[in-house]
Amino acid sequence: MAGAIQDLTTLRNATRPRRATEEGPLVRWALILVSVAFFTAFLLLPLVAVFAEGLRRGAALYLQTFTDPVTLDAIRLTLITAAIAVPCNTVFGVAAAWAITRFEFRGKQFFSTLIDLPLWVSPVIGGLIYVLLFGSQGVLGPWLQAHHWRIIYSTPGIVIATVFVTFPFVARGLIPLMQAQGVAEEEAALTLGARGWQLFLRVTLPKIKWGLLYGVILANARAMGEFGAVSVVSGHIRGLTNTVPLQIEILYNEYAFAAAFALASLLSLLALVTLGVKSYVEWRARQQLEESQS
Amino acid sequence: MSIRIDGLSKKFGGHVAVQEASIEVGTGKLVALLGPSGSGKTTLLRLIAGLEFPDEGRVFFHGEEVTQKSAYERRAGFVFQHYALFQHLSVFDNIAFGLEVRPRATRPCKDEIRERVHCLLKLVQLEPFAKRFPAQLSGGQRQRVALARALAIEPRVLLLDEPFGALDAKVRKELRAWLRRFHDETQITSLFVTHDQEEAFEVANEVVILNHGHIQQIGAPGLIQREPANAFVHDFLGLDFQI
Amino acid sequence: MRRILPGFRLTLGFSAVYLTLIVLIPFAALTAKAFSGSWHHLWEVVTSPRVVASYQLSFGASLLASLINGVFGFITAWVLTRYSFPGRRVMDGLVDLPFALPTAVAGIALTALYAPNGWVGALLAKVGIAAAFNRLGILLALVFIGFPFVVRTLQPVLISLSEDVEEAAALLGATRFQTFWRVVFPAALPALLTGITLAFGRALGEYGSIVFISGNLPFKTEITPLLIVAKLEQYDYQGAAGIGLVMLLASFGILAVVNGVQAWNARRIYRID
Repeated sequence: MAGAIQDLTTLRNATRPRRATEEGPLVRWALILVSVAFFTAFLLLPLVAVFAEGLRRGAALYLQTFTDPVTLDAIRLTLITAAIAVPCNTVFGVAAAWAITRFEFRGKQFFSTLIDLPLWVSPVIGGLIYVLLFGSQGVLGPWLQAHHWRIIYSTPGIVIATVFVTFPFVARGLIPLMQAQGVAEEEAALTLGARGWQLFLRVTLPKIKWGLLYGVILANARAMGEFGAVSVVSGHIRGLTNTVPLQIEILYNEYAFAAAFALASLLSLLALVTLGVKSYVEWRARQQLEESQS
Repeated sequence: MSIRIDGLSKKFGGHVAVQEASIEVGTGKLVALLGPSGSGKTTLLRLIAGLEFPDEGRVFFHGEEVTQKSAYERRAGFVFQHYALFQHLSVFDNIAFGLEVRPRATRPCKDEIRERVHCLLKLVQLEPFAKRFPAQLSGGQRQRVALARALAIEPRVLLLDEPFGALDAKVRKELRAWLRRFHDETQITSLFVTHDQEEAFEVANEVVILNHGHIQQIGAPGLIQREPANAFVHDFLGLDFQI
Repeated sequence: MRRILPGFRLTLGFSAVYLTLIVLIPFAALTAKAFSGSWHHLWEVVTSPRVVASYQLSFGASLLASLINGVFGFITAWVLTRYSFPGRRVMDGLVDLPFALPTAVAGIALTALYAPNGWVGALLAKVGIAAAFNRLGILLALVFIGFPFVVRTLQPVLISLSEDVEEAAALLGATRFQTFWRVVFPAALPALLTGITLAFGRALGEYGSIVFISGNLPFKTEITPLLIVAKLEQYDYQGAAGIGLVMLLASFGILAVVNGVQAWNARRIYRID
């Protein structure tokens, strides 16, 4: 805010010559205007639309959405899915980041590429591969059927697909951080007699906690909001295999718009909270870095 | 071409960087701004170049006031401490940059630019390196590219910020002698910043000593060493000489 | 090599097994399924007119969307790193909204906005433009989901560009625009290309937001991921696997481009041969 006021005064006070690294006020404000307009039209407006549409028929109807048993089932399934997928991926992310940043080994590049894979393949493929593996005509389909195990069109399939799309986040959050921090403190702890878990819990974990939290919340947001991959493996069975995003689709396609947007507003809130925590964590990490440098 | 500054003051927030500094650099002189780190010498140089603007005071180039002119209009030759070379351009293109960006009316033709650049490469003894990129050069070579680049626009004055600061001791010595010879040949009015008094006294015609933004003494190297103006100058020089 | 720190076998072993179960075996199943029938059939599926039309649409719309994001993402990254204005912090924080907002939510929100009776759609309808249930709608959704990539890859580069290089250009007589075009832009170009490529890759695979806004008409607004779902719904596993394989190869291509850009940049700046 103070910066903006300063900018406005320089705009009026045109006698001061321009610094070598700044643009003229006209160019500057034109660029700000363009980006703010683009940002408002493409990002802010959809967000506002979600809440506006959800509340259009009044608060009563908005709240009523969350008493519908099918919707409650969907919320429950989403929570269960995230409760399984996120901890699994957290353990994986920490292990993978430790292996990648602390050791040299053959195939590291390939290993690291595999970790990124879900970020650059279509979520639809993330669902497709499990249908092809576990589905009735899939590679393991006949065997699963013989044992009366159901994965596709059932909760396990949804969990596995969610694990697939969210496993990179914790690892991706930690790897650059742990690379930057180096191993000097761990090595020092080793010489002082720390062993294994002690080393991790007492030396490494305090250093990476903000990065870890960042990865976990991103993974969680994605786990609760995943649509494509889950849609492919779910089979859309009401009250059984519907997660919140899938329930939004069903409500929307049944023209229950107010309910669809009410439910969508719940996920939007989650997204906003995620972004808030992310900004906080980034700010904390910067503080920590500055403290360690000064 | 002379430089005169008159009562320059500059604050950053609450911190006083330069306080009422007045200096005159005569045409063809080579003057050193000497002081410990944080003494305001780089700020002073940047004020002269137009990279910063003073809160108070005025700057003159050859009697003409340039205080309200931007860096772009002043066209001082400036050599940065860390060279500030354009990483994605070759040595040749770095040096030619100042000529290439001129408006069409005053821009020399391609052959002329090539000739000028080769002339400068010869001057800084880097002829075989025209096609290299900054990342492929040593520190001393980069420094000379930065100098040639600054000279390409035929600046009225040359300002150097810690020109040898980032180099190792041996290269420093060589470049120092080279700068002295170079200045004798070109006679371009120059001002350079240094924290190394040996460097200042060996190369410059005149030395300006700064501390906490205040000018402590101005004079020929011999004079300052014989008659330090105050306790600070005495200490600052003396401490170093005992080593 | 002796490893000083503990946990090498445990961490690498665990994560390797995890990746094998979650990624490698399922992808092997995909490949196996795609080649389970005759080659001829596979070829026929992945080159059938409806599928080819979807490739064209997916590719074209993604390319256009990522280029639009290249332009506006650059401006946004510039504004966020260089200027201060009211709301800058909020804007900076919300740039990642498309990452955090579930695609289904984005899909219904964009559809509501751009449908003929929506806030923006009604305005567009007056001048005869149909956005939702049309190719334009697909483009809008892809611009939305790809927006953060360019901004976030450019921001650190624009911050790390040292100021003295721009000052040097100004002192040499370059105008502000020349300084930008000849000094800043070349330095930011690799990050810009990387960001555009990442946005393109993300757009190519996007599904959630598109199903709502596109209308899903074969040959007209049907993107490739949608066709995979359609094949699965018809229990044509081999067809789905075949198209999936094509998309996977496209993703590999994009990854190769990103790595290529980075290698080119390293060679260009650091002259590593």
